[in-house]
Amino acid sequence: MKELNPLLHSQLRLAIMSILMNVEEADFVYLKEKTESTAGNLSVQLDKLSSAGYISVEKGMSGKRPRTICAVTKAGREAFEEYVEALRTYLNL
Amino acid sequence: MEEKQLTEKESLELIASMIARTKTRYLGSRKMLMWGYLVVITAISVWVLVASTHNLVWNWLWFAIPLIGFPTTSMMSHSQQRHRGATSYSDKVTSRLWTIFGISEIVLIIMCLGFYLLGETDCSGAILVYSILMTSGAEIAQGLIVRENCLIYGGIIGLLVGMITVCCIVGDIPLNVNWYMPLFILAWIVTMIIPGHILSNKEKQQ
Repeated sequence: MKELNPLLHSQLRLAIMSILMNVEEADFVYLKEKTESTAGNLSVQLDKLSSAGYISVEKGMSGKRPRTICAVTKAGREAFEEYVEALRTYLNL
Repeated sequence: MEEKQLTEKESLELIASMIARTKTRYLGSRKMLMWGYLVVITAISVWVLVASTHNLVWNWLWFAIPLIGFPTTSMMSHSQQRHRGATSYSDKVTSRLWTIFGISEIVLIIMCLGFYLLGETDCSGAILVYSILMTSGAEIAQGLIVRENCLIYGGIIGLLVGMITVCCIVGDIPLNVNWYMPLFILAWIVTMIIPGHILSNKEKQQ
């Protein structure tokens, strides 16, 4: 039986990845709102996912406000698909 | 949301719940309504002014459409991007589709102006035909992408009016202001304003 990817098998990181798998890109505020997390925690988890190469994080400006845009990478997409496949195996789906 | 370990079942539930939270669809009703009302108000103004004064100089008012429409669209896109926070694949595809149409329309207007100013050839009919046919085509494509029948049906009616316009121009039938303008206005109401309001209601319900 395949082991569940420990990087994805945590509540907030999995929530972030699930959202990003469903949209092309999302900004920090959107992710914070949808995951109902704190800015600090979200920031830490985004860094972890980014370091693993699962998401890309682009910091820019929108008018006068800073805007951080996140998108899932090819490696992230593959890791997520593998994770879901492993989940199905565990649950006999 | 805390950073905690999950059971397999909880993981699957979390994925489903996050997907459901991102389901809100953006249908672009505000831009459609802006363009629809802009074209209809301009067309009515030109119609009334030309019919009452018999002076064709009022046709220059048509240029209000790109001059107001394109900068307003750009501002709406920026504010919408800030407001929504996420972009889906279908948002990107439809946005690019309309951008290509918008740019090609600007190029065509410049070309027609060039023909008129350099060669004194009036090919303004091309702008009319192109705008109706391309708007309708782009609307049908958007309708297919976002699965909205009102866009498909509105686009088909627009296409029919575009075809009538082409036949009239090719067959040398004058596009008389008294019959063509009401048809043109009706086409834009059916193509942009009615679907725009339908989509606006759907967006509010979300």
